[in-house]
Amino acid sequence: MKKIGRFFCVTGFFISLLALFSFRAVGQSTVSVEATVSETTIYTGERVNLSIKVSGDFNNVSRPDLPSFSGFRLLSNTPSTSRSYQFVNGKSSTSYTYTYSLIAETKGSYKIPPISINIDGEEHKTEPIDVKIIDRNESAKSSGSQKPNIFLRLEVSEKKPVTGQQIVSNVVLYFKDGLEVNSYQPVPGWKAEGFWKEELKNTDRPQATSTIIDGVRYRKARLLQFSLFPTKQGKLEISPYKIIVAVRSARSSNDPFGSFFGGFGNNQRQVQLDTDPVTIHVQPLPADSEGEYLGAVGNYNISRTIDPKNATVGESIEIKTTIRGKGNVPLVTKPDYKLPDGLEVYQPQESSNLNRHNHRISGSKTFTDVVIARSPGSFTIPEKKVSYFNPTQNKYIATTLPPLHFKVKRNPKTASTADTPTSLPVQPITGLATWITPASVSLFAYWWFWIGIILPFVLLGLAYWQKTYSEKMSSDMAFARSQKASDKAHDRLDKAIKLSEQGNIKEAYNMLQKALTGFISDKLTLPEAGLSNQEYVDALEEHGIDENLVKNVRMLLDKCASISYAPDTSHAYLKSHVGLAESTLDKLKKVL
Amino acid sequence: MAITHLKKTALLLVILCCYISTAYAQQSPQAVFDNANDKLEAGNYQQAIVLYKNLEAQNTVSGALFLNLGICYQRLDSLGMAKYYFLKASHFDETQAQAKKALDYVENQFSRQSAVLPKLPWDIATDWLRYNIGATNLLILGIIILNLGILLFITHWFVDWFPKYLRMSAYILIGLAVVIIGSGFYTRYIEQRYSTAVMVTQKVSVWEKPQSKSSLVSQAFEGYTFTVDKYKSNNHSGWAYVRMSNGLYGWIPSDQIMIL
Repeated sequence: MKKIGRFFCVTGFFISLLALFSFRAVGQSTVSVEATVSETTIYTGERVNLSIKVSGDFNNVSRPDLPSFSGFRLLSNTPSTSRSYQFVNGKSSTSYTYTYSLIAETKGSYKIPPISINIDGEEHKTEPIDVKIIDRNESAKSSGSQKPNIFLRLEVSEKKPVTGQQIVSNVVLYFKDGLEVNSYQPVPGWKAEGFWKEELKNTDRPQATSTIIDGVRYRKARLLQFSLFPTKQGKLEISPYKIIVAVRSARSSNDPFGSFFGGFGNNQRQVQLDTDPVTIHVQPLPADSEGEYLGAVGNYNISRTIDPKNATVGESIEIKTTIRGKGNVPLVTKPDYKLPDGLEVYQPQESSNLNRHNHRISGSKTFTDVVIARSPGSFTIPEKKVSYFNPTQNKYIATTLPPLHFKVKRNPKTASTADTPTSLPVQPITGLATWITPASVSLFAYWWFWIGIILPFVLLGLAYWQKTYSEKMSSDMAFARSQKASDKAHDRLDKAIKLSEQGNIKEAYNMLQKALTGFISDKLTLPEAGLSNQEYVDALEEHGIDENLVKNVRMLLDKCASISYAPDTSHAYLKSHVGLAESTLDKLKKVL
Repeated sequence: MAITHLKKTALLLVILCCYISTAYAQQSPQAVFDNANDKLEAGNYQQAIVLYKNLEAQNTVSGALFLNLGICYQRLDSLGMAKYYFLKASHFDETQAQAKKALDYVENQFSRQSAVLPKLPWDIATDWLRYNIGATNLLILGIIILNLGILLFITHWFVDWFPKYLRMSAYILIGLAVVIIGSGFYTRYIEQRYSTAVMVTQKVSVWEKPQSKSSLVSQAFEGYTFTVDKYKSNNHSGWAYVRMSNGLYGWIPSDQIMIL
């Protein structure tokens, strides 16, 4: 029993150890590779150290693959190496540094190209470095530097960023040889108005490198580093950053800077240094973005998930949207999703995880939409196109988030209440329904409207005309005779034919004469009796009646006057005269 | 020969697909309604809503359709939409009583209640004309009275039977007809210009101007009822000019409301 117990103890220990190592392997965080030079501005013929530092958790690292350097000569292909191990706040990290020596040969501005290095089978590249080689003799001639022995600068990575773009700002201390900086203390209260500000964390102590400014050699050290994100466009000014520095000058009578500190009367003093204000011209983002713009500027990976995919009624369902990458992570906004009906939506939650290492802000922001389905069924959250702005490519990058499907089942524990989900006092109508097709038409579009409006007024007009006519007929005798003349004449002609048919030819001709003279007197308002045939003819001529028509009237009247003397006048003969009289009266009716 | 046969088969398949796809659309409204009712009774509210909305989109409607839609949304806990459809159902005689009961119930479910300013007498009269008589009926009535009045007026010219009274009666009828026809046109104008709308989202701001940067008038919540001025809203795409039930006026994004 004892042996078995020991065996299990040992086995357990090794399993735990193995699990610990495997966990370390799985949990490998980022590996950073950084190239630095000991001096960025150097004289021709000077030697400069190029260091490639690999830090983080890694197992195997190969020797850097050096490119060709223009303006420099590589002293040796074999680098000097150094290795350090840190254990801070329970986290361990290793750094491995390769250092090469280069000789500056030709004056000019050069760029040390990216250097490839293979770490655990994966290729990493360093950022390029700008360096300047100046001629020592020319520099000596033009040296007229007015710069103080020690000063502070705020150096920004980008002076024309777009809104939201990450600007890395370094607070750099410059000091001449002979000065020794013991410590520094930032003055609190620095404000960068118009920017979202995040201080970057660097575990390394500030390292001083050499540089030449206006022909004077200075040493420089980056004391602090910030990430600034402009929140609005236009001209923005970063106010001076203040630091109190404890400096000590070298105890040498030949100290060329002795006069600067001489006045203090002591070898160590505290000096407050201010950076100059820095003006940034923030450019606006391009107007048109593809998909919903989330306010993210940088390089991101956007994804969303849903959990659970099979839920029960009343169970909360989480839709998680994760935006991960480098850039203005804190300023990223939540995308709006079109959620299907039947979901109860709760206040969304958001969390962010910022990484302030590696000289820039990176990390992730997660938005969690919490919904609860109130009824069973299959639901789909439609696909969504979102975008962020990539300042390197100077364009919006769109990502389509695929649709999310989930199913909601009835909750078996509340099955009895699910059948009667509410106490709504109304039941659905499931029988026959009366169907209508509603149409909103203008009242003017109805035909009956126009008939109903126009018809009474037409009737009113007609009635008014009839009323006026009747009144005139009863009050104006001449008008009444004129109106009745035609009918009266035709009646007399009909009567003449009847008399002729009865054998009263002479009376028929008398009636014919009466028809003619009566029509003329009624129309011309002449006396009804007592006029000769000639007077009727004269009256017609006075009214300018056509000569042939007057001739017909005269002929007919003469015939009527002389018929008493005619020996054999027949009915047919009279009928022909009645026909002529009818046509003559019709013609007279038109002209009188 | 084989290719010809293939073409014929493809043609037949296309015709069959077209037939199947149109068969559903060709179903009578009652058949679609019955199908949707089955889904509703089975608890498949989403599918029932899709079918009911097909009918609504075809402009073939009934009080029962709107009532059942309201019940579906109420069971999905979308109370703003439920109120909207119950209001629509209340305009049909056959569902008016049930819709009013349902509206009373739904109104009590909203977490926020709006203060209601009593209507002006003029608005009450206009609403009574709109919902109890209707513009078309008013117009018909007016035209009939106008015709009677004019006939009476014509009669007094030709009949000696109390001409004075005939003439006076004719004047009264014609005057009454003009008033009724005018009321018909005014009612139709009010119908076309103003509509009731229900807020169907949870919360939205009411703005003084049709811009989200203007001064805030009030906050509106799900289930609030507005009167929308459609003529004024037509000039600003995406916005609706509304009068809230407490008498305040403002602009609201039009996608937040459903207009009756």
